[in-house]
Amino acid sequence: MTTAQILVTLGSIVLAALLALLMIPVLVWLERRVCGLIQDRPGPNRTNVFGFRLGGVVQSFADVVKLVTKEEYIPGHIRYGRWIFLLAPMITFASALLAFMVIPFADTVQVDGAALRIQGLPVSYGILWYLAIGSVGILGMVFGGWLSHNKYSLLGALRAAAQMISYELALGLGVISMILTYDTIDFNAMVQWQSGTFWGIIPAWGLFIQPFAAVIITVALFVETNRAPFSVAEGESEIVAGFFTEYTAMKFAMYFMGEYVAMNTAGAVIVTMFLGGYQLPWIGTGTLLEHFRPVAGVLLLLVPAVMALFILWMRRNNRVRPTLSTDGGRGRETRILTGVLIGTTLLIEAVLLWLLLEPAGSIGASVAVPLLQIVIFVVKLMLVNLFFILIRWTLPRFRYDQVQVLGWRYLLPAALANLFVTSILVAGVGS
Amino acid sequence: MNDTAKSTRITTVPRYGDQTADKFYLPAIYAGIKVTLGHFVRNFRDITAMETLEYPEEQPTDITPRYRGLHRLTHREDGSIRCVACFMCATACPAGCINIVATERTDGIDEKMPEIFAIDTLECVFCGMCVEACPCDAIRMDTGIFSVTGQAREDFVLDRDRLLSHTGAFETEQTRNKEASHD
Repeated sequence: MTTAQILVTLGSIVLAALLALLMIPVLVWLERRVCGLIQDRPGPNRTNVFGFRLGGVVQSFADVVKLVTKEEYIPGHIRYGRWIFLLAPMITFASALLAFMVIPFADTVQVDGAALRIQGLPVSYGILWYLAIGSVGILGMVFGGWLSHNKYSLLGALRAAAQMISYELALGLGVISMILTYDTIDFNAMVQWQSGTFWGIIPAWGLFIQPFAAVIITVALFVETNRAPFSVAEGESEIVAGFFTEYTAMKFAMYFMGEYVAMNTAGAVIVTMFLGGYQLPWIGTGTLLEHFRPVAGVLLLLVPAVMALFILWMRRNNRVRPTLSTDGGRGRETRILTGVLIGTTLLIEAVLLWLLLEPAGSIGASVAVPLLQIVIFVVKLMLVNLFFILIRWTLPRFRYDQVQVLGWRYLLPAALANLFVTSILVAGVGS
Repeated sequence: MNDTAKSTRITTVPRYGDQTADKFYLPAIYAGIKVTLGHFVRNFRDITAMETLEYPEEQPTDITPRYRGLHRLTHREDGSIRCVACFMCATACPAGCINIVATERTDGIDEKMPEIFAIDTLECVFCGMCVEACPCDAIRMDTGIFSVTGQAREDFVLDRDRLLSHTGAFETEQTRNKEASHD
C-alpha cells in the first residue's frame, strides 16, 4: 500500500470511530435540549467551562466526568457469573459500535489505482454484518438482566429479548425486500443505486421506491434500539430500570451510551438504505467529480449564507430575557463564537475559491468530493437522529402486549406482503 | 339496560382507537409530531419567548394573595405583638409544628403573649389551619415567600422575632378598608 492509501484507510477508520463515539455526548445533549424545547423549557443550559456553554453541550461532558468518578458498586447478592455481569454492558456497547463500522460515509475513492471504501470496516457485505453484529447487542442485555439476580432485571431482559425476536423477523424481511430491489448486500452499492432519478424528477431514494419497507424497517429499528415508543424493556412504573437496574456508574453508562450508539447506527442504516446515503439528490458522485466547479461555486455562496443564518440565530437565542441583570457570560461567548465562525467561513471560502481556480484534472476535486459527501451524510444522519428524538417525545409508550401484537399481527404480514410484491416486480422487470 | 342508556344522567363517553385509521397509527403519529414539532420550532426560533422562568434569576410574578407562603405574626396598631398565646393554632396544626411558650404580658395591653413562638417549617405542611384557627388574626401566611433555605436544620425553625419581621406581600381587603377608614 502506498502512503496515500494508508492515510485514506486510517482516516476512514478514525472518522467512523469519531462519528460513533463523539456523537454520544452530542446526541445526549440533543435529546435533552430538544425534549426541553418541545416541552416549552430550555433544557440544560447552565454548565460551562470558562463561560463557554456551547448551547449546553458541555453538560454531557460534565455527566461523563460524574459517571467516571462515581463509585462502582456491585451488589453483594451477585455471587455467580460476576465476570459476565461486568462483561454484559460491554457486549451491548461494542456490538452497537461495531455495527456502525460498515456504513459508507462517502463514495469509494480512487487512490493510486486502488478503490478504497470510506468505511470503518471496508467490507462488501455490509448489511449482513449489520444484521449479525447488531443482534448481538441483545445478548448483553439478557446477560445483564439475568446475572443481576433481580426479578425486575430479569423481566426487563425478557421483554427486551422478546420484542427483539418479534421485530427481527419484520426487519429481516424488510431488508430482504430492499436487497432484492437493490440487487446487492453492499451498503455502498445501495447508495450508488440511489443516485439515479425516476422520470428525471424524483431522486431514486429507497424511501420513494419502497415506502412500505421504509416504514416497516424504521419501526423495526426503533424496536431494535429499545427506544420509545417501544421502550418496554425499561419502565419506572413497572420494572424499575429493566435490565440495568443493578448497574451503576460507568457500567450503567455503557448501556446508556450503547443505546445512543445503537440509535445512531439505526439512523445511519436508514440514511444509507432509504435516504440516499451520502448522495445529494439528483447529483451522483460521477457528476460531482466531473463538474465540481459549479458545485464549488454554489457552495461558495451557500456556506456564508448558512453561516450568517446560524450566527443570526445564535445572537438571537444565546441570551436571556432582557429583564435579567446578568446573562452569565452568554454575550461574551456569542461574540467569541461569532469571530470563530466567521474565521471558519473565511477559511472554507478560501479553500473553495482555490478549488474554483485550480487547473482541471488536479487532485482538488477528488479530495473535496468525499469531504462534501461526508458532510452531507452527517447532516442527513443528524436529521434522522432528530426524528428519533422527536418520536420519543411525541408518542406514549406501547403496552407490552401491544408491542407484540404490532410486531406479529401487523408488521410481520405487512413485511411478508411487501416482500411478495417486491419479488414479483423484480422478477417481472428482470425478465 | 336500554332505559338506563337513554337516561339523560348517563353520558356515553366516545371511545377512540377503533377506527381503521387509528389501527395504522401513522395518522395519529403525524398529528402528534405536528404538535411537538410546532412547539420545538417556536422555541427554537426564539428561546426568550418561552414561558419557563430562569429560576432563581427570574422569580415568579404570579403569586396571588391567596397563596399560602411563609407565616408571619402580625402587629397591633401600636406595633406590639398581636398574639395572645391562646394555643389555638398549635392545637389546630395537623403537623404539630408550632411550639408556643406563653408568658404574662405586663404592659397592660393584654394579659398574655408568647415568650417563644417557633414554627418548624420542615414539619409544616402549609395547610393554613393555624391561620383559620387564630381568633385574633395574629398569624397569617400572606408573605408570598415560597422558598426557605438554610445550612442547618435549625435554620428552618422560625422563631418569634423572625416571624414578626415578615411583612405581608399583598394589599388585602382589610388593609384597604383600614386605610379607607383612616382617610
